[in-house]
Amino acid sequence: MVRSKAAPKKPKRGVDFKKIKRKIGRKLPPPKNATNTQIKSKAIVLPEQSVASERVGLAVSKKGLTLRELLQQTSHHNAKIRKAALTGIKDLVLKHPSELKLHKLAIIEKLRERICDNDKVVGETLYQLLKTVIFPSSKEDITGAVISLLMAYIFNAMTHMAIDIRLMAFKFFELVVLSYPFSFMLYAEKVLDYYIDILRNNQIYLQEKNKLKNTLGGLVQCLSLLASKNEKEDRLHEENQNIVEKKRLHTFELEIYKDDAGISSIDKKLLDLVPILINCFQESTTLIRAMPIIDAQSFDCMLCTLQCINLAVKIVVHKIKKPFVSTGPFPPSLSDGPDMMRSSMFVYLKKLWEIFPVVQMHQSAEKEDDRYFTLNVGITEIFLHLSEWINDGTLATEKFLEFIENFLLGQVISSAGTHLLPKKVHVEKHLGSVLPFIPGLISQVTGSWKTSLLEGFTGAFKNCKVDSKLILAYLSALEEMLLPMENQSLLSFTFSYPDLLSYQIAWIQELPKILLQLGDKHPSVSKVVLKLILKIGQSSLPDSPLSLEYDYLQWPLREFYSTRRFSVIAGTIQYGPFTKLPNDCQEVALCCLYYFSNLSSDFLKSLTYCCLCDDLEPLILLRIIEVLHSSYKAGHVQISDQIGFLVTLVARFRVFPEIFISEGICMENEGKVSNQKTFKSVTGAVFTCLSQMGDNSLILKLLCKNIFNEISQKPPLDNIHGLLRMINVLDTRPTKLPEEDISSLSSYLSSYMVDAASYIPENVDVAVHSDGISIYQYYFQPCIFLFYRSDRLLYYILKFLDSLIIEDNMLLSSSSDVKSASEPLRRVHAVTFILIFMHNDGRLHRSLSSSEATVKCILQNICKLLGSSKFSMTLEERHRIQSLFDHLKTRVCKLHCWDVGDLEKV
Amino acid sequence: MEVVIASSPVDSGIGCWDLRSGAEQLRYRSCASPPHGLLAVARCFLASSQVRDSRAAASAPIFFWSWDKPQVEVRSFPAEPIGPLVSNSDGTYIIGGGLSGTIYLWEIASGKLLNKWHAHYRSVTCLTLSDDESLLISGSEDGCVRVWSLLMMFDDMGKMSARNLYRYSFSEHALRVTDLVSGYGLCNSIVISSSEDRTCKIWSLSEGKLLRSIMFPSIVDAIAMDRGEHAFYTGGRDGKIYIAALNAESNPNGIYGMFIIGSLYDHSKAITCLALSTDGGMLVSGSEDGTIRVWDTKSQHVTRILKHAKGPVNNVLIIRQPLRACPPALANAQASLSRKRLSLSLPPPLSKYIDSTDGEIETKAVNLLLPPWQDPEKSKYCSSNVIKKQIKELQQQSSSGAAEMESERLRLECKRSIQMAQQWKKLYQELQNLCVNELLNGVQMDDR
Repeated sequence: MVRSKAAPKKPKRGVDFKKIKRKIGRKLPPPKNATNTQIKSKAIVLPEQSVASERVGLAVSKKGLTLRELLQQTSHHNAKIRKAALTGIKDLVLKHPSELKLHKLAIIEKLRERICDNDKVVGETLYQLLKTVIFPSSKEDITGAVISLLMAYIFNAMTHMAIDIRLMAFKFFELVVLSYPFSFMLYAEKVLDYYIDILRNNQIYLQEKNKLKNTLGGLVQCLSLLASKNEKEDRLHEENQNIVEKKRLHTFELEIYKDDAGISSIDKKLLDLVPILINCFQESTTLIRAMPIIDAQSFDCMLCTLQCINLAVKIVVHKIKKPFVSTGPFPPSLSDGPDMMRSSMFVYLKKLWEIFPVVQMHQSAEKEDDRYFTLNVGITEIFLHLSEWINDGTLATEKFLEFIENFLLGQVISSAGTHLLPKKVHVEKHLGSVLPFIPGLISQVTGSWKTSLLEGFTGAFKNCKVDSKLILAYLSALEEMLLPMENQSLLSFTFSYPDLLSYQIAWIQELPKILLQLGDKHPSVSKVVLKLILKIGQSSLPDSPLSLEYDYLQWPLREFYSTRRFSVIAGTIQYGPFTKLPNDCQEVALCCLYYFSNLSSDFLKSLTYCCLCDDLEPLILLRIIEVLHSSYKAGHVQISDQIGFLVTLVARFRVFPEIFISEGICMENEGKVSNQKTFKSVTGAVFTCLSQMGDNSLILKLLCKNIFNEISQKPPLDNIHGLLRMINVLDTRPTKLPEEDISSLSSYLSSYMVDAASYIPENVDVAVHSDGISIYQYYFQPCIFLFYRSDRLLYYILKFLDSLIIEDNMLLSSSSDVKSASEPLRRVHAVTFILIFMHNDGRLHRSLSSSEATVKCILQNICKLLGSSKFSMTLEERHRIQSLFDHLKTRVCKLHCWDVGDLEKV
Repeated sequence: MEVVIASSPVDSGIGCWDLRSGAEQLRYRSCASPPHGLLAVARCFLASSQVRDSRAAASAPIFFWSWDKPQVEVRSFPAEPIGPLVSNSDGTYIIGGGLSGTIYLWEIASGKLLNKWHAHYRSVTCLTLSDDESLLISGSEDGCVRVWSLLMMFDDMGKMSARNLYRYSFSEHALRVTDLVSGYGLCNSIVISSSEDRTCKIWSLSEGKLLRSIMFPSIVDAIAMDRGEHAFYTGGRDGKIYIAALNAESNPNGIYGMFIIGSLYDHSKAITCLALSTDGGMLVSGSEDGTIRVWDTKSQHVTRILKHAKGPVNNVLIIRQPLRACPPALANAQASLSRKRLSLSLPPPLSKYIDSTDGEIETKAVNLLLPPWQDPEKSKYCSSNVIKKQIKELQQQSSSGAAEMESERLRLECKRSIQMAQQWKKLYQELQNLCVNELLNGVQMDDR
């Protein structure tokens, strides 16, 4: 348009340009060099429509539908599309988990409408969707509020006209409860109502076994939740088991369990539920009796029913018993609530009682028997809850007790008479649930049944394999029956039934066997057994038959610690499981020792071997010494045994010295860490024990005999060192040792001193304080104490040293071996050293001066020896010895106020 | 004056020192006590159970000493050897734990055995009372710690209906319980028990459960608790005194392990007993080597070493000794009364068996109604028998106590009579005035 206006104006301006006439409506021809921008194609293909193109970043399902669309489609009138929408949602959520998080509420709000869906397939799909995707992926996000959204619809569905929808609703409810157990308590009452309602409807269980099974499964779930809640509350009251490592001493409990007032109404509901379930069961049995074989479905149904009854009874019984526990010292309030509940419960259960042994009429296969057996066990369990009132006379107990007895004995009654149970594993599973009730039952029943039940139980216990899970159940039942005082519920146990004792003894005798069989493979079970033994020991009154029996446990328990086998290789020691068990087990095992009223020396022997085991931890070793000492103090160990134990421990303890000794020895105990420190702490513990044992001089007398015995067997130096110190701990100045002991001690001591002298490096100057010297000082220290206390001993030793040198002379003159030529040199060296050490110690000066003459004699002998040219030595050696000797001389002379020249002259 | 008293299982008497100055006081003769067997009953006199002469001996006596005489004054012979002793702060009753696990309860005033019950399977090793003296806590050789309500022990109805006599039974200790200490806070306090299994366990009396278990590097034989429940001291067999945290901050990586804050050490042998002074500033420890060390808890150093005997010390107590030498100038009626009570002879010996001769055993506690001039805090509980006896005495006017009460009554009566007389006097005066006035008025009237 603009252009067309401009055109007519231009000619008026001038004539320089040629007038161009143009017709309006014509266009300028395109320039020749223009590019053709026209696009031609046969068809236009758009990947998306306009709206679609805007959601590039959005999450879509496989079919390209967004969540919004899918949710809309869930309420489509066509069932297929609804189903497709649900599967779509599943896809989408699986692909984009974030989508679920964001729109959780919207999704649930839409999906819940489908709970009442008429179409079966849709319902099933929804169930799968919730079960596999939505619930697992948003465990934490879904709170009570969201659950309540779902619940409204579920409850609605539960009252729906169509049976299918109703059953489906129960399925949904079960799912919710499984995923979110906390939600159950809020709705428990209401749901139980619905369950009662649907179970009343007789038609269902006759026709649709499968669905009924689902429903009952849900009910089992709910009831077990209720039951576990009760247990949890109980546990809260007695939470002593888990030892607290809390930082603060006084803290408020974080978990505060709300006291639910509505729970009593739940009990009423449960009471209503029980007769209906029983009715249900009863009808099933009549049905089965008519049938030739029992089919899997109806069997499952019946089992579920029984489980429901069991749980309901368990909860109610718990409630009935509870007031007794909580009110403590005051008499229970005589409200008739629990009593009423009890009596009505009995009325209902009587029906079940009449059915009790569910027995097949016709001859049947083994599998069938198994099934009947399972059902019977189910019923048994129910009645065991009521065992406390079994003597009321309301029920005929014979067949019941007979069944349990046979059950314990591993037999089953069938139409063909009694025979052994077919599958062991199968029985064990059921036995586990029955065992906890046995002690209560035994305490209740009267007459011969008591004996037969005890017999059955004992038999079953003895047959139980140690590695089975049942062993723990047996042990806890045992504990209840062995320690009736602890569990006050069975107070009348021991007093009412004298025969029990023989069974108790049989059980106690069984315990060490179990312990040995367990070995070190099941430390947790071992610990339980040991704890039980400890408890028996703690609670047995002195001189009662049980404590006698406890004392007898020592014999079998020896093997638990260690035994000495006299096999081909004489006296190898077989270590029991004790050394390999973890620390806490060992600790408990040790504590058991304290309660033996008389520890036999045989048992102590085995314990000693155990102590000398290299693998034993130092801490445990110290604990053994401590416990035995306490036991001794309480008068459970003979004094001679105790001393023997301590001496043997010090004498035989294998010490792996530190590196300082010599290369050769070090190679021997390669890989072993030095345990000198352990030995030190052990000897320290032994010394404190010795000093607390009683009259010192008496103990010393006993001790010496043992010590000389051990020393005569030439143990390593470290051990002799320990033994000598033991004497020092008890002795005083002047010594309390008798003359003959001193003379024998002197002979041992002299050889010890010479042996120890071998640690003195040859080329060491006395004045310098070096490693070698300090080691010798360590070994020499106890000798100094002994000399200090007994001049006589010192005299003997000096005599010996003197003879040593002279003896050398004699030896030397007879043989002129090159090897032995250096030997006397060493001896002279050693004697010089020992004397220097003696003189170094201020405490010995007085004693030394009393045996002046002997010292003089020795010096002269050495002098003579050195002066003689009888044995060859290099100049260097001679010089060294001479300087040592001079050192000694000045020392001695200073002490005795001799003139050095005097000595030379002689 | 706070004094330290100490005894030993070998016969070396009871040593007594002034805590502040360390000066040795009177030494009470012939005492060989078992652990926890020494007791100062209501600060009035000393009591100690005795060790058996030999293992075969069937019984061992309980001795009483008065403060100012070194000789044993009263000897009682219970049915079996008694280990630990405990009494309430008023000195109304004394409780002892027997070798067989039986607990005995005597009334001091009459010496009657009011009650005994079988408490443990094995011998009772230590006893303590809760802060308000309503609960008795006993530890035993079998590792069990039990809490008893004293009220319950006299409540026959309650005993019948309850499942068990004890309130709580803690069986977590594996070996012999060596010491027990209860905290502050009436009957809801904490209790600390030590055992030969090398642990100390802290229990809550209100909840009846274990609060904490502390593992020590050695066996603990003695515990002393800080007044503020901040920490507690434990004496180990290795000669160290460990300080363990209660409410104090503790370092889980400490050298001795969790909850042990530190240790005191002075080259002594095993520590057997501990006591804290009332202000918490001084800790006294008795040791196996026969010495008693006094520690300053702030600086954690030994301030004094007291030598007791050659044998081991196994009991130390810190007691505020009553003022004996009271200057006569200060002696008012009150002081003379209390002194008289002190100088009165000690209570009769404890009886061996429950006395059933007077027919029905009446062990009802009676709160003695005190005359108003006495301090109400000093109210004493006595069994009805004692009260009956006192009443009888009062009637016969024979005993000194009765005479005292009688004179007191007379004094009061006299006072009241004087008051009465004065009142009468006043009335007469008024009456006379009135009459005189009336008369005068009458005269005036007549005059008119």
